Amino acid sequence: MGIKNINIWYISSLLISIIVAIPIFTVFSSFFETTGNYSSVVRDTFFYSYISNSLTLLIGVLVLTFIIGVSCAYLVSFYKFPGSNFFKWALILSFAVPAYIYAYSLTAFFENYGTAFTILKNLFGDGNYNSQIPKFDGMLGAIISISFSLFGYVYVLTRASFHYQSQNLIELGKNLGFSKKKSFLKIILPSARPAIVAGLSLVAMETLSDFGSVSFFGISTLTTGIYNAWISFDDLALANRLSFYLLIFILGLFVLENLSRKKAQYHSTSKGGFKSKTLTRLYGYKSVLALIFCFTVFFISFLFPVLQMLYWTIIFPKHLADLNLLELFFNTILLVFLSSIVLISLAFISNYGNRVSRSKFLEVLTTFSISGYAIPGIILAVAFITFISWFDNNVINFFGFSTIKSIFIGSIFGLVIVYFVRFYSLASNGIKSGYLKINYSIDESAYLLGYSKFKTFKNIHIPYLKNSMLLIGILIAIEVIKELPITLIMRPFNFETFATQAYIYASQDLLEAAAAPSLFLILIASFFILITSRYILKD
Amino acid sequence: MAKNFLQIDNVTFAASEKNKVNNVTLTIENEGDIVCLLGPSGIGKTTILRTIAGLEKIQSGTISLKNKIISSKKVHIEPEHRNISLAFQDNSLFPHYNVIQNIQFGADRNKKKKKTLTIDEVIEFLHLEHVKDKFPHQISSGEAQRAALARALLSKPDLLLLDEPLSNVDQSFKEEIQVKLKQILTDLKITTIIVTHDSYEAFYLGSKCGIILDSQLKQYDDPYNVYHFPNSIEVVNFLNRGILIPAKVTGENTLENDDLGTIKGNFIKRYPKGSDVQLLLQPEDLEHDDTSNLKLEVVDRKFRGTNFIYTLKTSSELLIPVFVHSHHIHQHEVDEKFGIKRPINIDHIVCF
Repeated sequence: MGIKNINIWYISSLLISIIVAIPIFTVFSSFFETTGNYSSVVRDTFFYSYISNSLTLLIGVLVLTFIIGVSCAYLVSFYKFPGSNFFKWALILSFAVPAYIYAYSLTAFFENYGTAFTILKNLFGDGNYNSQIPKFDGMLGAIISISFSLFGYVYVLTRASFHYQSQNLIELGKNLGFSKKKSFLKIILPSARPAIVAGLSLVAMETLSDFGSVSFFGISTLTTGIYNAWISFDDLALANRLSFYLLIFILGLFVLENLSRKKAQYHSTSKGGFKSKTLTRLYGYKSVLALIFCFTVFFISFLFPVLQMLYWTIIFPKHLADLNLLELFFNTILLVFLSSIVLISLAFISNYGNRVSRSKFLEVLTTFSISGYAIPGIILAVAFITFISWFDNNVINFFGFSTIKSIFIGSIFGLVIVYFVRFYSLASNGIKSGYLKINYSIDESAYLLGYSKFKTFKNIHIPYLKNSMLLIGILIAIEVIKELPITLIMRPFNFETFATQAYIYASQDLLEAAAAPSLFLILIASFFILITSRYILKD
Repeated sequence: MAKNFLQIDNVTFAASEKNKVNNVTLTIENEGDIVCLLGPSGIGKTTILRTIAGLEKIQSGTISLKNKIISSKKVHIEPEHRNISLAFQDNSLFPHYNVIQNIQFGADRNKKKKKTLTIDEVIEFLHLEHVKDKFPHQISSGEAQRAALARALLSKPDLLLLDEPLSNVDQSFKEEIQVKLKQILTDLKITTIIVTHDSYEAFYLGSKCGIILDSQLKQYDDPYNVYHFPNSIEVVNFLNRGILIPAKVTGENTLENDDLGTIKGNFIKRYPKGSDVQLLLQPEDLEHDDTSNLKLEVVDRKFRGTNFIYTLKTSSELLIPVFVHSHHIHQHEVDEKFGIKRPINIDHIVCF
């Protein structure tokens, strides 16, 4: 029997898990609430198009990210060609470009009299090019935008799996006389399957929760439905009900992803068993093809949106001058800083509480609460507001206190709380994986050397996990910088970040004005990605 | 209130239903005594140490250290407040500190206590000079084990618990470390409980040995008695020190076995004349004599450096081990006949 104490650590961990789980409970409980008139309209008209659009988008994105992600991962993991080392990390820069900014770039380039038109005009003189330039809008535009901004998940996880794939396994294939193609189809791909599925599941969840690009292209999905029900028709109950459907969908994917991850563990090599792979050098046209393929992906996913935004920022200097850059930068960094501090501290305390108490109940609750990452930001924001309103009306009012809504809604405090729920799994899983490397006997040794639980936490765990914390902090920063729907709904009045500023301009059809905040957003995110690329590519 | 240094009264040690040692009563009378616990793997020896250290709770009985109850159903003093040190069998060094820093953690505990042993001395005796600046992942498991031992020793505990402290240590300096460890523990009067599966290590280091078998503390006695006067068939089998052969008590100092004839010696325990008993026959009890008319067939011969162990078969198919000094003038091959000196005299006769 272990030491099962209900102490301060246990209680802290319990409270943190409950806070994170509140929005999930709220969505489920509000399913039975009465909805307004708008709900019958939605049911009769838009509901099936929400579902079918969400599904079409999902399938399109999954197919595209699978092809791009797996192909790139395969090329850089098994072959040596000009630029292969560069593409290894350059391809993850696509993480810096949120789908909605990609959507702005796509439109800006291909729209009538857009950048493509200007290029053609400069090259070939005046002409009716608009009819010849392909249009990437609507569903196609959304699929492309989301795919190129999310394929990184499939790329990173598949590459890691390829990288750690046993060399012996590949040599065995050669020994059995397998051709390269047969080796790929029979050995390499099946053993990377769990990683690919894990990557695709993440893509699926992000796709279903995407708000920025689908709303920009005017596609009605469940996510935009939730937003409209709440913002346009003030029907919170319907918003919650739609959230519930989406949540069921996403929880299914979450379970799939979790199962797949568990299987993935079987593929990891034991310590000392890893043998570095010998890469095959490509020559002639094969090396050129590999180079062209990777460069095209890198160009389309990263250079294209950056150049487009840079181009507009340069040719419309007025918008840049109008922008209060310092304030946007300060606001963005403030949110990054606050959320990182809150997330890392609380995730650390919660993990330590779990470790010290070794309570099964707490473990189950934590696992449940971290499923918050599967919930779209928009649902979390709506659920949080629902909960605060309920609490204010039923509890605060009951005791006759003044309303607390303004403390939580439309405030930085409330915004950080919802970020906390949204990104808690990122922080918690990061710290948990760090903790998995610390044997329990390490803690016990510390106790036996006279260290209290707090001193063990402070003097042994924090120093050991400080690198993990830094890495998690940066990953949170990347997510917070790009985050749109939560920031949009929860932010205080007149409080803008690069993401919201870009969205506001874009939604007013002022794409050229959206260019500068988008560009700065990409640059800051790229900076954080570059300093962590070594860690991202490692696992 | 107990007056012994450590008093364990009727405690059931349980990490799980399977891993359980029931109703243990054990005392360490004096400060500085060394006790060794022996038993097969997975029997619960480590659980006993973890419980004494306060890492596990107990549901019944009491554990008192220096006349103070540290564990009972109602009392549980947290491990950090017990001043008991435990060196784990597996690597429990702090991974982000190097060896010397890890050892320093031990030295930093009980700073106010009189300095009796320096870090340099411990590092030297445990042969850790060459790894002191390395990190735990850069050293071997044996080195990590020695570093953990150094840390535990330097923490000047009231009670030191060592879980298989030398199991991963190279044979080349295991004996040297055993000698020095015993010397240090004795000189500094550090009361110690050592868990080991090596009976020779236990017999050498311990002033008392406890044998744990079948979820019980079967025997707790000084090493000589455990070896020569095992109190149950289970202990005999566990120590693997001989065989039990059927015999009939024929007199005050004699027994009769169908194959070996008359056996003389001093009974540890009296049996009525005519009793059928199981006699413990240890390899050193029989003497080789080529001129004897008692001949047994050699079925195996093991060379053990200082001696050979012959396995001899009697006419009733009993297999009996016999030690012969390895400098013995001639050797017997398998299938040859091997003479046993008669009459057979055993100093102390152990029967069950």
